[in-house]
Amino acid sequence: MKILVVTEQREGQWNRASFETLAAAQQAARDTGASISAAVVGKGVGALAKELAAHKVAEVLSIEHDLLEKYTPDGYTLALKQVISTEKPDFVFFPHTYQVRDFAPKLAASLGRGMIADCVGLRHENGKLIFVRQMFQGKTAADVVFQGDAPWFASFQAGAFRGDQVEMGGTSSPRTVAVDLKPDQIRTKPLELFREAKQAVDLTQAPIIVAIGRGIKEPTNIPLAEKLAQAIGGEIAASRPICDEGWLPMERQIGSSGQTVAPKLYMAIGISGAIQHVVGMKGSRTIVAINKDANAPIFEVADYGIVGDLFEIVPALTEELAKSK
Amino acid sequence: MNIVVCVKQVPAKDAPLAIPEGAAWIRETDIGFELNEPDGYALEEGLRLKEKHGGEVVALSLGPERSKQAIKEALAKGAERGVHVSDDKFYELDPLGSAQCLAAAIKREKCDLVLTGLQSDDHGFGQTGVLLAELLGLPHATIIMQIDAADGRLKLKRELEAGWFQWVELPMPAVLSIQSGINKPRYATLKGIMAAKKKEITTLTRADLGVAPSPTQRIERIYIPKKTKKTEMLTGSAKEAAAKLVEKLKHEARVL
Amino acid sequence: MPVAPQRETLEADVLIVGGGPAGLACALHLAALIKKHNESGAKPELSTENIYLLEKGREIGANQLSGAVMDPRGLAELVPDFEKSAPLDTPVTDDAAWFFTSKGAWKFPITPPPLRNHGNYVISLSKLSKWLGGLVEKTGVNLFTGFAGSSLILEGDRVCGVITDDKGLDKNSKAKSNYTPGYELRAKVTVLAEGPRGSLTKQLVSHAKLDGLNPQVYSIGVKELWEVPDGRIKPGFVAHTMGWPVPASMYGGGWLYGMQGNRVSVGLVIGLEYADPLFDPHEAFQKYKTHPFIRRVLEGGKLVRYGAKTIPAGGWYSMPRPYVDGALIIGDSGSFLDAQKLKGIHMAIKSGMMAAETILDALVKGNASAKALSAFKDRVDASWAKKQLWSVRNFHQGFAHGLVPGLFHAAFQQISGGRGLVDPMRAHAGHEAYAHLDGRKPPAERFKGDGKLTFDRLTDVYHSGTRHDDDEPCHLLVSDTNICVGRCTQEFGNPCQYFCPAAVYEMVEERGERKLKINAANCVHCKTCDIADPYQIITWVPPEGGGGPNYEGM
Repeated sequence: MKILVVTEQREGQWNRASFETLAAAQQAARDTGASISAAVVGKGVGALAKELAAHKVAEVLSIEHDLLEKYTPDGYTLALKQVISTEKPDFVFFPHTYQVRDFAPKLAASLGRGMIADCVGLRHENGKLIFVRQMFQGKTAADVVFQGDAPWFASFQAGAFRGDQVEMGGTSSPRTVAVDLKPDQIRTKPLELFREAKQAVDLTQAPIIVAIGRGIKEPTNIPLAEKLAQAIGGEIAASRPICDEGWLPMERQIGSSGQTVAPKLYMAIGISGAIQHVVGMKGSRTIVAINKDANAPIFEVADYGIVGDLFEIVPALTEELAKSK
Repeated sequence: MNIVVCVKQVPAKDAPLAIPEGAAWIRETDIGFELNEPDGYALEEGLRLKEKHGGEVVALSLGPERSKQAIKEALAKGAERGVHVSDDKFYELDPLGSAQCLAAAIKREKCDLVLTGLQSDDHGFGQTGVLLAELLGLPHATIIMQIDAADGRLKLKRELEAGWFQWVELPMPAVLSIQSGINKPRYATLKGIMAAKKKEITTLTRADLGVAPSPTQRIERIYIPKKTKKTEMLTGSAKEAAAKLVEKLKHEARVL
Repeated sequence: MPVAPQRETLEADVLIVGGGPAGLACALHLAALIKKHNESGAKPELSTENIYLLEKGREIGANQLSGAVMDPRGLAELVPDFEKSAPLDTPVTDDAAWFFTSKGAWKFPITPPPLRNHGNYVISLSKLSKWLGGLVEKTGVNLFTGFAGSSLILEGDRVCGVITDDKGLDKNSKAKSNYTPGYELRAKVTVLAEGPRGSLTKQLVSHAKLDGLNPQVYSIGVKELWEVPDGRIKPGFVAHTMGWPVPASMYGGGWLYGMQGNRVSVGLVIGLEYADPLFDPHEAFQKYKTHPFIRRVLEGGKLVRYGAKTIPAGGWYSMPRPYVDGALIIGDSGSFLDAQKLKGIHMAIKSGMMAAETILDALVKGNASAKALSAFKDRVDASWAKKQLWSVRNFHQGFAHGLVPGLFHAAFQQISGGRGLVDPMRAHAGHEAYAHLDGRKPPAERFKGDGKLTFDRLTDVYHSGTRHDDDEPCHLLVSDTNICVGRCTQEFGNPCQYFCPAAVYEMVEERGERKLKINAANCVHCKTCDIADPYQIITWVPPEGGGGPNYEGM
């Protein structure tokens, strides 16, 4: 059995979720005895391919073409379709990125196949691979299995697998796979990429969130939490009362009337843990709660808790993080 | 500009979910339903484009009888016609199967644009727009923040991760998945609601459309994930507790 | 406030404000009458499409709850085949009255006649209304959900219609990009069917001086819907309880009803005319559930939904004059509720039907003056509704000083067709009953609950499904917050913090200053604050339509 992992790069920089997908593939390979092929797509990706080859995979494919230099759904779909036809993998794994959302279902459908997208886990049971994904905005999990013939396509949610747990020790040499693409097959004309101060915050994409509650007492204390967010590489968020007061914009609200998030780390600072808030964050992988009330319900959903004065603990934390960098 | 907007009726965001043991779908009794919020943004975008360029907006929905409510809401907001692909077992369809039903209905329309929301609040597959593009043989783009249409071509602003954006150009007809939150959906007015009663909703079945999808995946069961959490309380002075926490986050939880 | 907006106008024959049993019965019966009228060839020809019904909830039934054990009398007249078609949960199989002490329970050997319920049905009012709404829609009546009647269009003493809610205003009442001003909805006849303490009804009663002999008095009902393990309770089991935890100085009692599918309706009613300003009805209800009789049924079960609503208990003597030029008042808004049996659904339906008959005449004759509409009162006076209300006309007033005097008066009323020892027995507005704190300190901590059988208010509010836009004007208007931080704190300890079952009101300290914080988003539209605030400075107005609780199954 063969698993093809399609990594993602842009302008020579990895989307690091690609390594999480490798970790997922390695787990599946351990369970099923499958071999792993890892692919890089683009133009002039030789260096990236070599880097990939240092990881424990059976082979690395370099899929290169002028028309793959800039991402287009047509380009990537047509190229990978050809690769899949020749390489004949059973599974094709992707990281669930904005780009993968844009073309991978199309790729699967062009081969008459389906895709299980945004998986948060993988299990091997009764000789079958069961893919776990969330439904109803994270309120439920679903066990999904493929039907019909290979190839089977799946993408994995950022943070579901640990990129730092990928096994190294690969010895293969990257192999270039030729693909045939013509300019008139590419209907999208991609223009320049640019950065913008986002008008709306998408907390659902933040891997780390530092959220504040009424324990912060005054809006003048918010910079304390913002410094922590900066030190830890997280986004600032809040429970409803903070946003109601206008101390933070509405888009920063987490809870039943705000956003539902499941980052890899959620820090609840001065948040009591009323159910209205908890339903918006209890799916987070690791939850840290800091509250001066030992009986605050937030501690029931926390992995780590500190009972104490947040005005002392938060600065201490910020300092500790700066030290350990 | 003739626009088809795909809308889905989903369980209300705050509906308590009851899952029969081992089932692959929730119990639908005693819960409220509403228009899928991401689709609301797509509908608003479609209505604005029609107001700017002329033409009509058709609201298309796949689902049981109650899905007509989502279509009616779209009509009340200004869509001209509705198409309901009636299917009581819609929840058994995989993303490709749903898209095949919708594509077959869209093929009966002459349209310049097909708009979808990013994903549904129930299944959350997030694939419908992209699959429609493939099945209809049309170019597409997703996570669209802004649409400029002129001379049969589209200039679109696409959102990427981490604060990056990109402009892309596409010919029409095309399929677009609209990013959530890019507009404030309008309210249906009393006059709009009354006018909607007189607007046409065509009902079609899989048989009418000649669609017989073969499943590519199956949801075996859905369940509320069980949390087996043991909270570790970290003690000591503020400095000590902070140091312990950073250590745990780095080496135990491995999130830093 | 935005500059006086340009409002679209719509003209209707009849505008019904409120999609509860009264409003829906009015619409349904009127549609049937119009059909008959048109079929008979009588002129002028009328159309059901000129009947509009406004419901502020996101769907019919969303903002409605009741226990409820319904007397089918009203429904039987409205929908004769209701037994086959209505969503009745279960007929009452077993009814009993109990007296609770903190640990014990004594069953009344004979269930007192007012509490006998054989022949009645345990129902979900929300479901019933939803079903009635479906019937109304089929008749061609225009049913608008998510639209509130925000203010009356008054021309002198004439009610000409309502202004519907402005949509898309932010919390500072500034227009958002999707701002849509309310419509000027004009009608020949406007029917106010807003339920207990209707905001337009309040406005009209005050403006046109329609007060009855007594001011209206209210009770609050706090309810939870549970799913319990098999075998705990039989569907159709109905128990009403008196005593613990309601102090003898107060009017109140609890209920426990068994429904299909292992569902249980449980709740507590408290008269909103108690002396202790720090009394917390929600907390009393949570304590109620810990009584062994109740705990035995609920333990290990799951809370499905929570809600609260007020009940107009003043009866006949509190009934406002129900007609003015261009308008009628029906249902709970018009005090159509048997305060002894605490049943109002059948009354609401009957009042709606009588209003429909009156309105048909008014439309045919082209006369909707107060005089013409006064025929409604005549119909009421000649109906079983009056008979029933008349027989209990002094009931609730007897309890103004507590359980024992109440039972005493009730006994005399029972044997004298309602007259009792004093007729009419006067009532005082409930908010006048508070005694000053006199130095008493408020509780240090609020009730937290164990999270399994009992809950704090925020957890309960979550289970009410209540939803309001994050960014909309506050719909709880407090005319003078200086009173809150000054006099009220001193005299009564800010009872809004205690009587609100949804934790809307909080006194907080900000930068050393005490102030009133209003968490309007938690509001479950019960109207307790409008009723029970000691200075009557709180006015509840409808928030943007579509907001409020989601009382599915309640």
